Formats: sequence, C-alpha cells, structure tokens
Amino acid sequence: MDEAGSGVVAVAAAPEADLPGPDLEPIVPTTTEAPVVRTLDRAVGRDERPLSPLAAQVVPAGSALFDLDAPLPASGPVPIGLTIDGIDIVDAPIVDVGVEPNGEMEIPGATEIGWYRWSPTPGADGSSVLAAHIAWNGRDGVFRDLDDLEVGARFTVHYDDGTARGFMAVEKAQYAKEELPFDRVCSKVGEPSLVLITCGGDFNRGLNSYDDNVVVYALPV
Amino acid sequence: MTGLLEIPLVQKALAILVVLFSVVLAAPASAQDDVTIMLAHGIPDTVVDVVVDGGVVIPGFEFGDMEDLSAFAGQTLTALTVNLAGTDTVAIDVGDFAVPAEGNVTVVAHLDADGVPTVTVFENDTSPIAAAEGRLVVRHAAAAPQVDIWANDVAAFTNVPNGGEGQADLAAGTISAQVVPAGVLEPVVIGPAELPITEGETLVVYAVGSLEDETLTVLAQSIAGHGTAPSAVNTGNTPVDNGTDATALLLLGAVALVGFGMVASRRGALVQG
Repeated sequence: MDEAGSGVVAVAAAPEADLPGPDLEPIVPTTTEAPVVRTLDRAVGRDERPLSPLAAQVVPAGSALFDLDAPLPASGPVPIGLTIDGIDIVDAPIVDVGVEPNGEMEIPGATEIGWYRWSPTPGADGSSVLAAHIAWNGRDGVFRDLDDLEVGARFTVHYDDGTARGFMAVEKAQYAKEELPFDRVCSKVGEPSLVLITCGGDFNRGLNSYDDNVVVYALPV
Repeated sequence: MTGLLEIPLVQKALAILVVLFSVVLAAPASAQDDVTIMLAHGIPDTVVDVVVDGGVVIPGFEFGDMEDLSAFAGQTLTALTVNLAGTDTVAIDVGDFAVPAEGNVTVVAHLDADGVPTVTVFENDTSPIAAAEGRLVVRHAAAAPQVDIWANDVAAFTNVPNGGEGQADLAAGTISAQVVPAGVLEPVVIGPAELPITEGETLVVYAVGSLEDETLTVLAQSIAGHGTAPSAVNTGNTPVDNGTDATALLLLGAVALVGFGMVASRRGALVQG
C-alpha cells in the first residue's frame, strides 16, 4: 500500500499547481516516503544524460538469477499407454526410449511403443515422438496398421498419473527414411503436437528394413 | 614496359576490390540470424547505466539482468562506459568496444579477482551436442581466488581463474555441482546445487559476486536448439505382406528365433544402461 501511495505522490506533485480546486483535494497525499525521493533523484539524474537512440535496439532478455536452493521443475506426466480404436490398438504399453549407440532411435519390441524421452511428453510444447514397429521378428508390430489411420481420427494417450488426453490425426505422410524431417518431427518448440512413426514402403530384403517411414501428425483435441 | 607495370596494378586493384566486396558483403550477413550477443550484469547490489558515446543505452541495468545486444553485432560502440545509475560515476571504462560480428557471445560485467568491476567477453560453443546429452559451461566471474568446480563428486574443472571457464557434454539429467577454492575441499563457496542438464541445450553457469563480501551467487543462461535428433527411426525388420504364405512366415520365424535371444539381451542391456 505504501508503494501505491508513493506513486500518487509522484503523479500528483506536478499538476497540483496548474490545477487548483477543491475537486482535487482528495488526491493530496498524506505521507511522503523515502523511496519516492530516491525515485525522483534517479529520474533527474537520467534526464541529465540523454537516452541514446541505440537504446531502442536493446532487447531485454530477462533475469539470469539462479536460485541454487530452488527445486528443479518437475517433469510432466509420462505417457504409458495408447489407444487408437480405428486400428485396433487398445491401451498398448508405451515405454520411454533414447538412442542406440549408432545414433538411431531405440525401438522396443513388437508389442510396445517407444516414447522418445528427449521429446516433450504428449501435449506439452513441441513435438512428442511415439514410434513402434510395423512388424518385428516375424510378427506384427503395434503400428502394423498405422498407415490405415485416417486424418481426422481421434485417439487417446494414457499417462502415469492416471490421466488421459485426446489427440486428432491432422496429417499423414510417407518419407524415404533418409528424408524424414527430423527438424519438424523432433522440434522441441512450438505448439504441442504428437508424431506417430512406423515403417512403410517397400521392404528391402537385403537390409531387412523398410525403405520409408510412415508418419502421422496429430494435435491435442 | 608499361604493360608489365599495368598488369600487376590491375591485379592489385582487383584484389582490393575483392577484399572490399567481401567486407561489404560480410558485414550485413553477419549482423543477422546467426549471431547472438548477450550482455549480463554480474555485479551484486549495483544498478548501472550502460553509456555509449555520452548517451544512455541501457538505463537502470540491474544485477542478474540480461540484455540482447545482437542488433549491434559487428559495430563498434564508442566510448562505452558502465556508470552507477543516474550518475556520471564510471564503474567500468570499457573504451571503444568492438561487438563481435558473429557467433554466440555473452558479455559479462562482473568483478575481477580483486573485486574491481570489469567486462569479459565469453564465446559460447553452439556446436552440435550428441543426442541424449546436454552441455554444461561453468564460468568464474567472481571476486575470488582460483576455484575447483566439482560435478557429481568429481573435480571436473580445477584451478579455474577469474575470467576462466570449464565445459563438458554430459548425459542429460541432473548433476550436483559445487565450487571450492582451488586445491581444497572446504569451504564450499557455492552449492552444492542440483543443476539441470537438458538434452540438446547448453547451461552456462556464472559464479558472480564477492567471496569477501559474502555475495557469491550464480547466474545461469540457457542456450537451446543445438541438439542432435536420432539419425533414423527403423521400425520393422519383417515384411508385412498380406499375400505372404505360411511357409515364408515359418521360415522368417525360424530365422528370427535364432537371432532373437541375442537381440533381446542386447536390448535389455541398452534399456538398463
């Protein structure tokens, strides 16, 4: 409250002489605080030295003060299950994965979906990555029918805190593997999005690998 | 004879033109996207004005604040001084300051080892960080002797002087860090503190303040966007072919079974690691 009162002092001081009259009486302050004096002094000091035109090009970048005792921000809920009615995926387990020593994304076995742990949790800012096999070691993978998912289809991610969240497929794409747009797929910034990835295209029997990636981009509902 | 003289002259003229052109071309290009110039205030309890050529460029600059000066990349700021706010009292007389034209740079106003205000230009390494790792940079910008910086109970950087720094790429997660005078275990002058090592980002930590005045503290700056995505997403080693006959599937299954144990155990190790 003292702060607010002080502000009135500074504002009221100048117009007081120009605008006399009983109507303005209520504005007259009842206290004068030391901080007001300091504020005025500093303002005067600055007025003596002109503001450089260069000042307009400086962009404030916030405070770098770091509280050593503050707890680290808690990570959000972690995805643990995926249900996509349209292609018969019913609460398929999601595990968090990283990268293989060769730099490729780690992918769990045929029955599980990998959440790239260095991507945001689904629904947080940036692009969350869920990948699973189309087929692995002779059996169908969880994302066997991902290519059949229609744009507009809705599905659900379940989290370890018991919550669930709906998403809607907004785009489907197929890329030659070397052309998978990692800048988009693994973006850590921007609006929340969720990317489902599996393989597709021709199967290369020499490499035991598919030529393409099938990608479904989705947004929170 | 004249012909012989003219040719080198023409070459010289061309060479000069080439140099001039490259300077002219380089200047505007460098002052754009690829350059980041930050100014950090690392002198506790001191509000300052940053003055260039007699005019105030940053009024009322407070401890811990950062200002983005990228617009000045490649320019020379003449007669740069850091004054006590609202006064003509010069705290730091920088002189003409050539703002770097490229790179990612943090200019820090801080105390030197003896407690005298100074300015240090630090270059930030924005080279790619491997997937699953983050980069930690620790800078000594405090009025204090040489220090050792411990990370997870290891003396990661030793004998770091004022104005010096240490840098390491670490597995993403958290580390416990503390700063002690060089060569000893106590007293711990900063920390121990849990620092977040964020995948694909650089965390720059500045030790600032004064040991003698008991104002030692930490500033932190995050630099994002230079991580590495996975190189590929390989999500299938078995053909999906609706027309595949049972014999082929059985053969594939047999082949897969042979390799399955190896793959599974390797995968287990990976997940655990």
